[in-house]
Amino acid sequence: MISLPHYLAVGAILFALGLIGFLSRRNLIVMFLSAEMMLQGVALNFVAFSRYHGNLHGQVFTLFVIAVAACEAGIALALFLRLYHRKRSLDVSLWQDLREPGMEPTVDTEPLPSVPKEEPLPHLPPAGVEPVREERHYV
Amino acid sequence: MSDPSALLLLIPLLPLVAAVVAGVFGTVQRLRPWAHAPVVVAAGLSCIAAIGTVSMIETGISRQEGGDSVQSAPGPVTFPKLKSEEDRIVWFGISYGQTKLTADLSLTADHLTGIMLLVITFVGLWIVVFSIGYMRDSPGYPRYFAIVSLFLAAMTLLVLADNFLLMYAGWEGVGLCSYLLVGYWHHKQSASDAARKAFLVTRLGDVGLILGIFVLWMMVGRDGFGYARIFDLAPQLAEAYPTLFPTACLLILCGAVGKSAQIPLFVWLPDAMEGPTPVSALIHAATMVTAGVYLLARCTALFALAPGVQLTVASIGVSTALVAAFIALTQHDLKRVLAYSTVSQLGFMFLAVGCAGPVLPAVAVTAAIFHLFTHAFFKAVLFLSAGSVMHSMHDVIDMRQFSGLRRVLPVTHLTFLAGALALAGVPVFSGFWSKDSILEAALEAGRSARFGFAYTILFGVALATALMTAFYTFRAYYRTFWGPVSMPHGAHPHEPWVMTLPLIVFGIGAVVAGIIAEPFTHWFSNFLTRSPVIVQASGGHTVEHHLNWALMLGSTAVALAGVGLAWYLYQSRPGSAEDVAAAAPRLYYLSLNRLYVDEIYNILFVQPLTLLAGICRLIEAVVFDLVRLVATVPRYLADVIRPLQNGLVQFYALSMIMGVAAFIGYLVLFAR
Repeated sequence: MISLPHYLAVGAILFALGLIGFLSRRNLIVMFLSAEMMLQGVALNFVAFSRYHGNLHGQVFTLFVIAVAACEAGIALALFLRLYHRKRSLDVSLWQDLREPGMEPTVDTEPLPSVPKEEPLPHLPPAGVEPVREERHYV
Repeated sequence: MSDPSALLLLIPLLPLVAAVVAGVFGTVQRLRPWAHAPVVVAAGLSCIAAIGTVSMIETGISRQEGGDSVQSAPGPVTFPKLKSEEDRIVWFGISYGQTKLTADLSLTADHLTGIMLLVITFVGLWIVVFSIGYMRDSPGYPRYFAIVSLFLAAMTLLVLADNFLLMYAGWEGVGLCSYLLVGYWHHKQSASDAARKAFLVTRLGDVGLILGIFVLWMMVGRDGFGYARIFDLAPQLAEAYPTLFPTACLLILCGAVGKSAQIPLFVWLPDAMEGPTPVSALIHAATMVTAGVYLLARCTALFALAPGVQLTVASIGVSTALVAAFIALTQHDLKRVLAYSTVSQLGFMFLAVGCAGPVLPAVAVTAAIFHLFTHAFFKAVLFLSAGSVMHSMHDVIDMRQFSGLRRVLPVTHLTFLAGALALAGVPVFSGFWSKDSILEAALEAGRSARFGFAYTILFGVALATALMTAFYTFRAYYRTFWGPVSMPHGAHPHEPWVMTLPLIVFGIGAVVAGIIAEPFTHWFSNFLTRSPVIVQASGGHTVEHHLNWALMLGSTAVALAGVGLAWYLYQSRPGSAEDVAAAAPRLYYLSLNRLYVDEIYNILFVQPLTLLAGICRLIEAVVFDLVRLVATVPRYLADVIRPLQNGLVQFYALSMIMGVAAFIGYLVLFAR
């Protein structure tokens, strides 16, 4: 029989995983996903308590959380797009301009491991035409 | 120009304009070598205007008024001509309640001013000409001429002013120019030090002068700056203010002492020789330093009524003359010898004006101004000759490094000889007559009832000083121009005509200025004693001319003895001077080290002031920096926690999580 503590445990695990992800990853999108995971952990608690108490209060909150998370995703992804356009990178540590004036920026002593570039996929040229190798940039 | 008296305005104005023009020339590279041109022209025109002024004083002015030619009586010329109150040109005015303080821009040339103007513009003109040659290769050529021209403007303003405040403006103006010219080679530390010393020491006297002017104003009240009003009221003032009146005289004396380098403020003048030599001749020998004598002569009407102050004046003069002559005996620097002789001769002039009162002021002032007049010539020629020597000897002026120059600098030798004979007081030469008239005034003052004994002592000391004067003058002469020819390395003896011409002019002046002007013709005294200030001070008595043959013989003997002694020690038996020095080593070193006056002043005044400044610095550092300490503490506290705000999103998130964790941990563990 799956009882309330099991649900709560899964919710806590989700929350903890999200928290660790949020604190340890530097990619903006992954951080955002981690934050979403924390939200889902909380939402799971709501649903579990709703079931345990036998009313719909928790489910209302859950729906509310999901709606807010959707809006948040829209805004956050739009912001990330703009940030990416600025610096061509999703590294969150590039954005530390709001520190105390006169403080040295925090620089990572261990640089990120370089991601191997993907080989661009060849295009299929029209018949009888010499194939042209297209220059494409991937991050 | 319809009003001939406007000529007075031109005398200071032309050099002032020339100063500006010379300054403008300095900004254009191609015109820089011609910067002397406007100054020479202005000085020349000024000189002509001064001669015109003197002739106006002598003959009166004829001017056109409404078609009629009006001839006014001979006498002082004023500008502007006052017909009503509206004609006054007010320089500035302050009114406070009923009290009004106005300073007029008005010029007067009386006989005393006329003589001063002639001296200043004539000497100024020829020294400017000399400078063309002397300053030829000097950097800052236009600056030099601009300042000299400014000096001429200020000096003529000083003597032309007809009130104390305008005179004081000129007084400060010449002080400023002196400062600028002494420090002309400002990259030399010694020159800039000397300039500062000259400025500060004379300033000490100037403070006294301005205080004296205001004490006079306090006593006289409305319009209390004009010479005429103050001198008119002088007898009443002396009666009404028995202590304040001599105080005012003493304060004015203080200014004169500073400017004319008398004890105790004489230390700046020898150091002022750091300036270019023509400047030494013009400012520090012929004109500016005599401003103090002029001031005392101008104020004779006041000083004659304060006999105690007059004795002070005479004593200061004689003691300065003696001390300076004593120091001059052993100096090795030719210009320094001349500087001390200037101080000494100014002391003689002070002695003469100090005799006014016990003797008829007309006699005393004539003697002083006459000596001023001849001194301007013979000291100018001595300085310019020294300048010529220095120019040829590659800026070396130490007498130990050259000798026998009469063969290489023949013109300079002759002109220096003329000046030296005049300074030594050898008969027929100009200095003899004027020094003699001073000694005569002192001797006569010795016969007065009050202070007679004191004046007799002063006369004796002055006579002894005359002996020393003759000796040190000819010591310098023999050491420079006689003996085997030797010159320092780099010397290139030459005498360009722009330098020899002024030398010859002044040399002739040094020879004949005395004998033409006074002893037989009495032109000088007849002219000068018609000056209203002197007539007033003398109470209408006129001078009885007589020649005191006994005194003349005595001073001739003294002068020849001095010259002979110098000849014996430095020419007849070279080397015997060292024996004399070795016989009295203490006296010798006392003289060589200038009586240690600078050292004593350093201990008495400079060191305590430095100490005071140090204490003030300390107070500033300790007391006032406490405030800064209070401001610093929060700043350092803030610096501890500032790094928390590092702008990293994840760091903020982490601190938030840790805060929440701590809070929950507290709830779980301790909350009941």
